[in-house]
Amino acid sequence: MMAPPMDASTPTRESPVAGSDARAVRISGIALIAFLALYAAMVISAPSDAVQGSIQKILYVHVPTALASYLGFFVTAVGGLLYLWRNDDRYDRLAHSGAEVGVLFCTLCILTGPIWAKGTWGHWWVWDPRLTVTLLLWFIYLSYLLLRSFTEGSARTARFAAVYGLLGAFAVPLNYFAIDLFGGAAMHPENLERDSLGAGMGLPFLVSMLMGVVAFLHLLAQRVDLASLQAQALERRLQSGAARRGGPAEDIPGSGSPGTGALSVDNDRGSAL
Amino acid sequence: MNVLLAILWKDLLIEVRSRDRVTAMLVFSLLVVIVFHFALPGSNPEQQAANAPGLLWVAYVFSALLGLGRAFSLELENEALSGLARAPTDRGWVFLGKAAASFLILGVVQAVTAVAFALAFDVDLSAVALPLAGIVALGSLGICSVGTLAAAVAVRTRFREVMLPLLLLPLLWPVISGAVRATAQLVGGSDVEFEAIQLLIVTDGIYLVLSFIGFDFVLDE
Amino acid sequence: MIESAIAVRAVEKRFGGAAALAGIDLEIGAGASLAVVGPNGAGKSTLIRLMAGLGRPTAGSLEIEGAPATGRQARARVGLLADATFLYPQLSARENLLFAGRLYALADPAARADLLLADEGLGEVANRPAGEFSRGMAQRLAIARSLVHDPPILLLDEPFTGLDRRGAEGLSERLRRLHRDGRTLVLVTHDFTRAAEVADRAIVLSRGRIVRHLEGGDLDAHSLERSYLEAADGAA
Repeated sequence: MMAPPMDASTPTRESPVAGSDARAVRISGIALIAFLALYAAMVISAPSDAVQGSIQKILYVHVPTALASYLGFFVTAVGGLLYLWRNDDRYDRLAHSGAEVGVLFCTLCILTGPIWAKGTWGHWWVWDPRLTVTLLLWFIYLSYLLLRSFTEGSARTARFAAVYGLLGAFAVPLNYFAIDLFGGAAMHPENLERDSLGAGMGLPFLVSMLMGVVAFLHLLAQRVDLASLQAQALERRLQSGAARRGGPAEDIPGSGSPGTGALSVDNDRGSAL
Repeated sequence: MNVLLAILWKDLLIEVRSRDRVTAMLVFSLLVVIVFHFALPGSNPEQQAANAPGLLWVAYVFSALLGLGRAFSLELENEALSGLARAPTDRGWVFLGKAAASFLILGVVQAVTAVAFALAFDVDLSAVALPLAGIVALGSLGICSVGTLAAAVAVRTRFREVMLPLLLLPLLWPVISGAVRATAQLVGGSDVEFEAIQLLIVTDGIYLVLSFIGFDFVLDE
Repeated sequence: MIESAIAVRAVEKRFGGAAALAGIDLEIGAGASLAVVGPNGAGKSTLIRLMAGLGRPTAGSLEIEGAPATGRQARARVGLLADATFLYPQLSARENLLFAGRLYALADPAARADLLLADEGLGEVANRPAGEFSRGMAQRLAIARSLVHDPPILLLDEPFTGLDRRGAEGLSERLRRLHRDGRTLVLVTHDFTRAAEVADRAIVLSRGRIVRHLEGGDLDAHSLERSYLEAADGAA
């Protein structure tokens, strides 16, 4: 993704991060391709589960997408927090990108879950703690994105989204405890100890988790890059528009040059308050 | 603190004069009771008693949505919200004032609804009235705290009536599940398990603090 | 060095793709009375709102007596009379002022409310709901509200709109009195006669920039109107 060539005569305030955005895309893209081959090899060669058969291999997609969707919300929440603290648009772009990429993985997770569930437990959907929490996360993502699209004004959108992202970030673990306490059928395979996976599945599993992280980071980098390019394009449009408008104003007799120099409007009496 | 009381006074005064929030919420939640009663055919009393707590809280949440939305739509007239934003005070107090007013108004509606529910579903609540009030208060605290923040956000978006439930409901899950469980146990005659209370208290605390702090950013223009 | 009452430095404000303010530099000393005129869309209301701390500039900064305009300290020193009145129609005039007084943590909000009602000649309608007020009465109540905390700086956005001649004269007299008492006034208006009566300085805004500055002897209704028309032509 190359940045479009800029008109040398138009003054721009280019984001200092632009270069590093593109670099992040390249690096993560390379990592992704490198991993992809390894990942594919691992998944194909991994042994089939004795009980579940080869459908169990969907685990290598389902769990990484779950990881990525939680990563995504983490990025969204932290990005929002940093935005509120520093008031820098870059953090808001990061938060927004985290949400867009995260909701993608979350959707994949919710789609692959039932496929696996149907194949192994015979039900399309169960109100199992982890599935339920992921579903709730999905709804929080959606609400976050809808909030962004229905709010007007970029500063207000960024602020509202940041606050909601933080609330959501706390809601997710709270949800988890709530569901865990009060159950739902705990059908989900218990968490990751070496032995819970069959023999020979440990390594492919690890690789697939890493794959999930790398895929997430690459898509995130792409999305952030796109967002900063859009912001730069908007900035250039505004500046060239302003430069054009500056012309006629100078024709008004008796005016100073537009917008330059402080005009002091002092009180004659000079009394302090 | 004075600001909190000032806003509480103002909201309650307006409510006492116009009574529109309370009326709307009450009518709505009573309708919900009736609709539920018809929607769930009169099976055995055991099943009715099992469903009742959950349905009661659904009615509570829906009427809370109405009330919270109204709390801020009345601030939109004449841009009163900007007037509040300009006050030289920590905006968290503005938040607490609005939340407290919503809490009290909701409380009135909840009490009446509980009575209606007891009648419609033939459940005896009088024995557990006091502990039930406690559970309901804990639940309402969570609903009104994060709900006030969400309403302040929603009221300045393009589809504010739709936005509020969208924003609030996913966040309320821990509150509702804890409250329903505790209510069910009370109604069922057993003791309320500590975990439910714990969940409610922790959630309420977190939501109160986050909303108090977040309100400052939300009220910014 | 005396802090300016209001300091506007390289302020820009953008809404979406449009720039409402494209670079404003302004220092207003304590006790000054400044009129701001210009065609619609010039950015006058935006500037006033930023001075009042409602919103942050996209670039640059605004300070009230050296403190950021959006901060609590500044909010206590500024009164705002905007097109919106900030009044609750369901509350009476007195209750509105009482509420505002409490919001500003006054020691005796009731006494202040009664004083302001008397000053604005609203004593008789003090207990009527603000929603029933005519435009002129609501305006007077809004002025009272903006003065509840006795702010040294008063910002007014088109306060003469919708007032009849008597109402406008009364308001003009009121503003001149407030100025004589030592307050700093910033007045956005299309009414050049009143502007010339109330202000001792004026700036003309066009397309988000200051294009003209008038003061003292140069400042009268006629010169204001002429400057306004030139700016309007330039903006067309």
